[in-house]
Amino acid sequence: MTPAHFPVPPSLPQAAATLNGVVGPLADLGGLVISDSGATRGAVTVRMLDETLEAATRALAGTAGVRLADMFAADDGPVTTLRLVWAHDRGYLVTETETEGGQYPALSEIVPAAFVEECEIYEQFGIGPAAGEPLNRVMLPPHAGQDFPRLGHRPPQPLDGAHARHTVEGQAFEFPFGPVRQVGVESLYYGLVTSGEEVVDLYLFTWHKHRGVEWRLRGKTPREAAFFAERVEGLSAVAVGWAFAAAVEAALGIAPPPAAARTRAVALELERLYNHAAAMAALCQATGLSVGQAAAEIALERLLRVNAAAFGHRYLFGVVEPGGVSRAPDADVLRRELPGAYDELRRAAGALLSTNSFLDRLEACGILTAEQAHRLGLVGPVARATGLPMDARRAGPYDEVPATVVTADGGDVLARFNVMIGEAAESVRLISAFVDAGTGDGRTPLPVTGGMGLGWAESPRGEALAWVALDDDGRITRARIRPGSVRNWRGFDDACRSQNVFTDIPIIEASFWLTVAGMAR
Amino acid sequence: MPFWFARGLRRGVVTTRYPARSDGSAAFLPTPPAFRPRQLTGQTADRLVAVCPSMALRRQDDVLIFDVGACTACGRCAEAAPDAITPSGEFELGATARSALVKRIPIRGETR
Repeated sequence: MTPAHFPVPPSLPQAAATLNGVVGPLADLGGLVISDSGATRGAVTVRMLDETLEAATRALAGTAGVRLADMFAADDGPVTTLRLVWAHDRGYLVTETETEGGQYPALSEIVPAAFVEECEIYEQFGIGPAAGEPLNRVMLPPHAGQDFPRLGHRPPQPLDGAHARHTVEGQAFEFPFGPVRQVGVESLYYGLVTSGEEVVDLYLFTWHKHRGVEWRLRGKTPREAAFFAERVEGLSAVAVGWAFAAAVEAALGIAPPPAAARTRAVALELERLYNHAAAMAALCQATGLSVGQAAAEIALERLLRVNAAAFGHRYLFGVVEPGGVSRAPDADVLRRELPGAYDELRRAAGALLSTNSFLDRLEACGILTAEQAHRLGLVGPVARATGLPMDARRAGPYDEVPATVVTADGGDVLARFNVMIGEAAESVRLISAFVDAGTGDGRTPLPVTGGMGLGWAESPRGEALAWVALDDDGRITRARIRPGSVRNWRGFDDACRSQNVFTDIPIIEASFWLTVAGMAR
Repeated sequence: MPFWFARGLRRGVVTTRYPARSDGSAAFLPTPPAFRPRQLTGQTADRLVAVCPSMALRRQDDVLIFDVGACTACGRCAEAAPDAITPSGEFELGATARSALVKRIPIRGETR
């Protein structure tokens, strides 16, 4: 008999048992496993005291198979609560700590992955690490005054005082690039520090795309908010929408109907396909291979048309809704049109893989090691190309049809390109399996109640996470949405510095295939 | 390189008149709204202003001001008031001045 619903995330004692080895050391440090209504459902919640946060972070950072997935703050009355989300193969762990005195230990000294979040939390809540390196601007523009909308209270001092000044000395100079760049590329400012040809250093200004989405979600019902959530990163609309919907569902203790969950998976894999085709086109453009670019763009356009014919929207907006999906795919269209569109992509990829002048630009370009990827908390194809087999496609429909994780060695642009090609083939297989298993529309009704929940989905650019807190009227008090881009931009400057020259940077950027919008939100 | 040249030739002519022919997939492209002033009541206009996520709509007395430059063609207004709004079908807009993208729609509908 088919179950009416996929099982909801395991109840807390069960989940805590699966993460026993991870939770144990925290309990020794005075951590308290929360299982009442104050817990984040969909994850194990451990409350840590301010004074043991540093030791707990050190313990978790030193545990094999655990990585920092996210860190964020929320204002709970007079105190600000700091939450760290740790990912493990078997699930997620959330530590929460009430901060005092507008400061917390410099966690990025222990887990470098946390640096971006430290900057964000300072901008939005005015609390910062007690020591550590100067912070960067991430979301708020320099002209953001004291009345600029923020999630929490204002920073205690003008942001300029805490932010890094970028100065260049000696034999190097700074080459400013952006924020207005080539046609079709998002606004992004590169501060390129160079001695003439080699990239000595690189920093980014990403705040041009800030829209205050998390701020705008407050007070909305989950259904109202879903519209904005999927626009956090339009090129990952399904993944981010799914992560948000899953967080809401976890908070409310419900699960989508199985056919609707399969529909989500079909949309997610279609999203991966068109993104990988777009990344391939961008790689060709960056390497000056215009015929290859046209070939990849033909495949991209065909895939977008398959999306439109199957789901009614080229970029699959509005498919995922909290509780389920708004519509089912046209299975006939997918069976009829997808093989041809994918074949176009496969042939373009095959031709590129036999073009030496193209491969020469990709090999040994933008190298990242597995150690770097782990330390910086990288996700998605960028991490998988260093050999790390991480993938958030588990639970729900992926229990029925498990996804094969494609990895590569080398960590360079070519490895990322190979991972994308492998994943595209896997996505086609998964779509076919999900369609055969039966897709449909439908929603589980959302009860009007409070709670907190964590949700995730594997976007084309890596794990997307969402954390939602609902009040008793079912309205959002705080929603944290963290697309994969946020994590992977953290590794971009390291990739660019690894023995590369100017003209490699567009190639590395195309192989990362991130969005600035997702970063700045 | 000769390989790519030959591949390009095999696929045929790559430059065409624009548009070369009408394209069925254009029907899927989201487009900004077109308004029916007679169906537009003050009440409807207020609802549309509230529903627009990119603040492309605002009301000034008996006029609804629509900034096409701010519109993302999300379709929420057409969903909220299907009588007063249809998709314009116009996805290629051009203007030489920013102000030309701001339209004034008279509110002519009767308030019941």
